[in-house]
Amino acid sequence: MSECKIISNSRMHGDYFRAVFDAPEIAHKSCPGQFVHIRIDERNDNILRRPFSIHNAENGKLTIVYKVVGKGTETLSTLKEGTVCDIIGPCGKGFSAPAEDVVPVAVCGGYGAAATFMLTRQSRNGGVLLLGARSEKDILLTKEYADAGFDVKVATDDGSIGTKGRVTDLFPELLAQYAGKKLFFYGCGPHPMLMALAKLLREKGLDGELSVDHIMCCGVGACFGCVVKVNDHAHPGEWMYARSCADGPVFKLADIYTE
Amino acid sequence: MADLKIDFGKFQLENPVMTASGTFGYGLEYAAFYDISKLGAIVVKGIRSVPSDGNPTPRVAEVTGGMLNAIGLQGPGVDKFLHDEHYLPGVKKTGAKIIVNIWGKTVEEYAEVAAQLEAEAKADITALEINISCPNVKAGGAAFGTDPRLAEQVISAVRKATTLPLITKLSPNVTSIAEFARIAEACGSDSVSLINTLSGMAIDIETRRTKIANRTGGLSGPAVKPVAIRMVNEVYKAVKIPIIGMGGISCGADAVEFMIAGATAVAVGTANFVDPYTPLKVIDFINEYCDRHGIRSASELTGSLLN
Repeated sequence: MSECKIISNSRMHGDYFRAVFDAPEIAHKSCPGQFVHIRIDERNDNILRRPFSIHNAENGKLTIVYKVVGKGTETLSTLKEGTVCDIIGPCGKGFSAPAEDVVPVAVCGGYGAAATFMLTRQSRNGGVLLLGARSEKDILLTKEYADAGFDVKVATDDGSIGTKGRVTDLFPELLAQYAGKKLFFYGCGPHPMLMALAKLLREKGLDGELSVDHIMCCGVGACFGCVVKVNDHAHPGEWMYARSCADGPVFKLADIYTE
Repeated sequence: MADLKIDFGKFQLENPVMTASGTFGYGLEYAAFYDISKLGAIVVKGIRSVPSDGNPTPRVAEVTGGMLNAIGLQGPGVDKFLHDEHYLPGVKKTGAKIIVNIWGKTVEEYAEVAAQLEAEAKADITALEINISCPNVKAGGAAFGTDPRLAEQVISAVRKATTLPLITKLSPNVTSIAEFARIAEACGSDSVSLINTLSGMAIDIETRRTKIANRTGGLSGPAVKPVAIRMVNEVYKAVKIPIIGMGGISCGADAVEFMIAGATAVAVGTANFVDPYTPLKVIDFINEYCDRHGIRSASELTGSLLN
């Protein structure tokens, strides 16, 4: 647990914000896919911490990208530079570093793209970002990925930018373009998107890891509030609950249970 | 330096601060933050005879001044608890005093779990806490803690099954908690702990669905503290056995308030999620408070309410 000063906290566009903390202890231990658990305001009636994917961690700085969705993120968005927040992290199990011979493909929904960004620094072979969202206003971080050498493909439900459709609709183009390459997939986004992605990857005989979580409370594996269903390998076909904060949030595709 | 030692008769604690069952995992989760042997004791998450999945999700929801939960006592079962490094074998290496919270779906199951824990790990366990108050499981839990006859049966059965010190964890979701405390005392429970969570509900008005899949959940956090203080005081007046007070303790002052109301020891629950170091801060505060008030032993605080 560290007391971390906000270096900057500003609106990217719409309801999306980026906060940068001075957090050397956390930053040097962080891996892609891990999260930080932030106590936003000690005076607030909302007592619980809020988990945020680590977007970036370098040079002692920790960056998160968040959408204002409720009271916690609303309060966070008002915190000024210099405010100190109490942060636990890095928490949870992150993505494994891409193997030397693979092209990593991040498949993300909306600000899920924050969680896979650090993979861009670990890859030796460039990579791909498939990003899906409702509309153009929910598309973010594409420039950062492109600047980091990733091939960015976008799909929106309303067709306002990129292909009209779901992120999984980008697969035919991806697989045609990267035929003969060894692809490994990293997913982060809303639960239905991840379930559709898991099914598609299995159907195509592809492999990857998905970040799957649920409403969190303790963030350290103690309360069992944030469990998700994973395959119970001891009893094929059956599921069991795993703690998304401590056993995840990143799970191997083989562990992901789809209904 | 005040003397913080607490005497429960059958066992002694270095200080009066514990962690509440269900909020501290099996201990190792928080051993990553600090030396948990500094606590009076840790109370691990509920254990029954077999593994249990717990409730569907969502299981938790934040509410003003606290939270609702309906975890549903997910757990590894007593065999895995006794033999897997993530549970008792691992946590006992920390040197912490361990209190095991037990539950079952039948009276017999409670007794079996107690007997097995005594048979296989008596030396590693400070006490058993009988959970007759979880509001989130359909069979077991509060079903036993809100019916006086069932409470009597289950506490008596566990008492027969073990010589380990017994703590009965009481439900606040009853008309008279003092009545249940008297039953616990009469059936041989060595102490009582209270309160478990208050049954509650929260609804998402946009979807018109409950925020928790189980529909109802247990309310905990600072919002419940005045209710808990009142109940501790009622129970203090009703029984002679010691009380472990809990419900919304988020700082040392809250803990002292419980002790003045009648608690011999206290437990930190939901506050662990907010600040994992809360129990240590509570210990320091009690010490400082005693010194400031010229109190030599923290045990003098128990029931020291003046009106």
